[in-house]
Amino acid sequence: MKIGVYFCNCGSNIAEKISSAAVAEAASFFPDSPYVTIVDFICSEEGKLQFEDSLKAEQPDRVVVAACSPRDHEATFRSCLTNAGMNPYLMQVVNIREQIAWVTEHPGVATEKAIAAIRGAVCRVRLQQPLEKKQLEVCPDALVIGAGPAGMKAALSLAEAGRSVVLVERTPFIGGLPVRFEDLFPAMECAPCMLEPLMGDLLHGEHPGKIELMTMAELVEVTGFYGNFIAKIRRKPRHVSLHECIGCGECVEACPATTMNEFNSSASGRKAIDFAFTGVLPNAPFLMEEVCVRAQGVECRACKDACPMGEDVVDLDEESTVVERTIGSIILATGAGLYDASRVAGLGMGVLPDVYDAMQFERMLSSTGPTGGEIVTAAGAVPSSVAIIHCVGSLDEDHNPYCSGICCRYAFKFNHLVTAKLPGASITHYHRELVVPGKEAHMLLRHAAGNSSTTLKRYAAISDLAVTRDDSGTLHVCSRGEVTPVDMVVLCPAVIPAEGTDRLSALLDVSCDSFGFFRELHGRTDAAQSTLKGIYLAGACQEPMDIRSAMLEGMATAGHTLAGLQPGRTIEIEPIAAEVDENGCAGCRLCLSVCPYHAISFNSEQNISHVNAVLCHGCGTCVTACPAGAITGHGFTNEQIMAEIEGVLQ
Amino acid sequence: MTTVESFEPKIIGFLCNWCSYAGADKAGGMQLSYPPNVQIIRVMCSGRVDPQFVFSAFEKGADGVIILACHPGDCHYKEGNCRALQRHCMLNLMLEQLGIEKERCRLDYVSAGEGEKFSRVIGETVETVRALGPLRLDQ
Ligand SMILES: Cc1cc2nc3c(=O)[nH]c(=O)nc-3n(C[C@H](O)[C@H](O)[C@H](O)COP(=O)(O)OP(=O)(O)OC[C@H]3O[C@@H](n4cnc5c(N)ncnc54)[C@H](O)[C@@H]3O)c2cc1C
Ligand code: FES
Repeated sequence: MKIGVYFCNCGSNIAEKISSAAVAEAASFFPDSPYVTIVDFICSEEGKLQFEDSLKAEQPDRVVVAACSPRDHEATFRSCLTNAGMNPYLMQVVNIREQIAWVTEHPGVATEKAIAAIRGAVCRVRLQQPLEKKQLEVCPDALVIGAGPAGMKAALSLAEAGRSVVLVERTPFIGGLPVRFEDLFPAMECAPCMLEPLMGDLLHGEHPGKIELMTMAELVEVTGFYGNFIAKIRRKPRHVSLHECIGCGECVEACPATTMNEFNSSASGRKAIDFAFTGVLPNAPFLMEEVCVRAQGVECRACKDACPMGEDVVDLDEESTVVERTIGSIILATGAGLYDASRVAGLGMGVLPDVYDAMQFERMLSSTGPTGGEIVTAAGAVPSSVAIIHCVGSLDEDHNPYCSGICCRYAFKFNHLVTAKLPGASITHYHRELVVPGKEAHMLLRHAAGNSSTTLKRYAAISDLAVTRDDSGTLHVCSRGEVTPVDMVVLCPAVIPAEGTDRLSALLDVSCDSFGFFRELHGRTDAAQSTLKGIYLAGACQEPMDIRSAMLEGMATAGHTLAGLQPGRTIEIEPIAAEVDENGCAGCRLCLSVCPYHAISFNSEQNISHVNAVLCHGCGTCVTACPAGAITGHGFTNEQIMAEIEGVLQ
Repeated sequence: MTTVESFEPKIIGFLCNWCSYAGADKAGGMQLSYPPNVQIIRVMCSGRVDPQFVFSAFEKGADGVIILACHPGDCHYKEGNCRALQRHCMLNLMLEQLGIEKERCRLDYVSAGEGEKFSRVIGETVETVRALGPLRLDQ
């Protein structure tokens, strides 16, 4: 076997400490007596040409480059091999600059160490095999789960780029949490005014054909992998055709059955067939089968008969269906929910009237909510004092140790709105910490702090606070002996993952963190990617965040899809991956349990494991774990590493 | 016979590509000189370090082995360094059974920014192994 050793002087950086002549002399005693070529700066344009020309002239079978760290220039040298017509993986780089020349005092000692290291590389490279990057056809389309701000932004951005998107939303309407709000921090912008253009774009904008919206739908199964997922989605019956309904509400009038409306925090009623609340999009009612009198066996078709658009709009017999779609990437944008404030003892949630959580209060403030936007007590009176308790279940080891990050800002939004709606009403904020980040939100704090009817009180632990009610119906907030009578209490509970995040995580095999939010691939450098390749995370499903961040993350996930999956382009699969030798595999499945990427599947018919090279990141943990030695870690095989160990020790 | 002073131990260092190898490069960038006794073998992750590599190193003449990983929680592949830690515990037991002092095989954590820690850990390891003297395998 002909081996070429290319020794870079790196000017004087290496040459000063390591004698190329001594290396050349020693090399003649290495296995296969490699030839040694000395280059001044092998990474320079001139050096690369010299390297490539020499490779073409010498036609070695294997190459060792002794130079700087492979973290600097391994890729550069690999492309030189490719340019010279060689397989780029038939090369080993020896780091004689950062790890020898620059850290060894005596030139003689450095030279000796370099000789041993190069000997190791020569022994290793003899066992290296040509590796090929595999190409795989991909589907450029995406599935977005959740039509809140993050999911909508992702879907719209992808559609704009010409991609087809399947947008799955489990409620009957789009917009996520903010469609339930009247105004938004930090600038007190009207929420419907901000969201409606976006939602309109999604439903009837320039790229409507590109977005397939499924409301009242949920993901039930996913198979495949990055670039080629197959998703099964269950569509529950709405019983109203979105295409034909004009949103007139005649059917609602006619319906005889009523229940409480969960989308108004159950503070108002609804009919069996009804809108979630006024102004929702898509602008069509939905029928709650379990509430409809037909569920009790009563024959009724009042809604169908009332519809002015004909027989086909209301379909009383519609059944749930499962549809299948092929997509290349999946964007999780399932958002957040609120911690159940009744789990924090002593605050009266769910026990005392006029104690509300933030979502109930948002609905009360909203013109589409149960009181049409009026702030009124359960007895129908206008409150003259309101207490707002921050950090309920956040920053609390007994509940959720993290800061939910958005609550102080919406609490000051509440302050703003209460002041506007009830001039003169006194407002007391009980907070543990105050967190109002961003260049705009401080205005809200300043507004509240400068308001003569507002008091800010800091408490040390939530257990210092208690909410009670006296016989006259007045609420009392007791804070370490100090008692403040109020007419209404609003609690700001911790932001937690949306209900069902755990089920989705199990279904997709993507990890969650200890709080139940989806875990990022890397908290800072890769926060929009999940731990599974091709599954991305947008918005509050990953941690509590405001709308601005959720929208930006939606855009980021669209970016990942656009960058990674391009129509007509294949994805390259790194050859440094693991491969199971089917004859050696004993079927113990240990590899499945150690793989951090769920890249290994098990074929129980043949009793063998299989590594999906698309999902494999090449860490080699399974290679080491396999008791039968049946897994090869391409590029880092046992034989190659053992040869290197033996080579450096000779 | 080699005296303790004149004995220069041979040590094999298994470094993961992402943190500890980068930490070694960092030490280089900072031009921190440290003893030359450790030959570095790059693996993608400390989870790739097979106990048989360690035995083979001892068998082929190494007096010591050091495995360097990303700090707990920082492994580029999420949990490879946990596997490395588990295997290192197992290795300790096996080495003792073979009559090899467990101090000859060290596991430590070096991040990409810790050039100084890297050179310190190398220095310490060389001194530890030097004090133990050359490894003699009876069989
Ligand atoms: C009380 C309160 C007030 C707030 N006020 C403001 C404010 O004024 N300004 C501001 O910037 N931010 C505010 N926020 C934060 C804001 O609500 C979030 O930033 C935003 O909702 C995050 O958007 P998202 O798309 O990530 O999630 P979400 O808005 O939660 O949307 C997620 C969507 O996914 C759907 N979904 C969930 N699970 C599934 C599933 N399994 N399958 C299909 N669909 C699913 C949900 O139905 C929902 O439509 C407030 C939050 C709260 C709690
Ligand atoms: S990559 Fe450094 S220990 Fe896994």
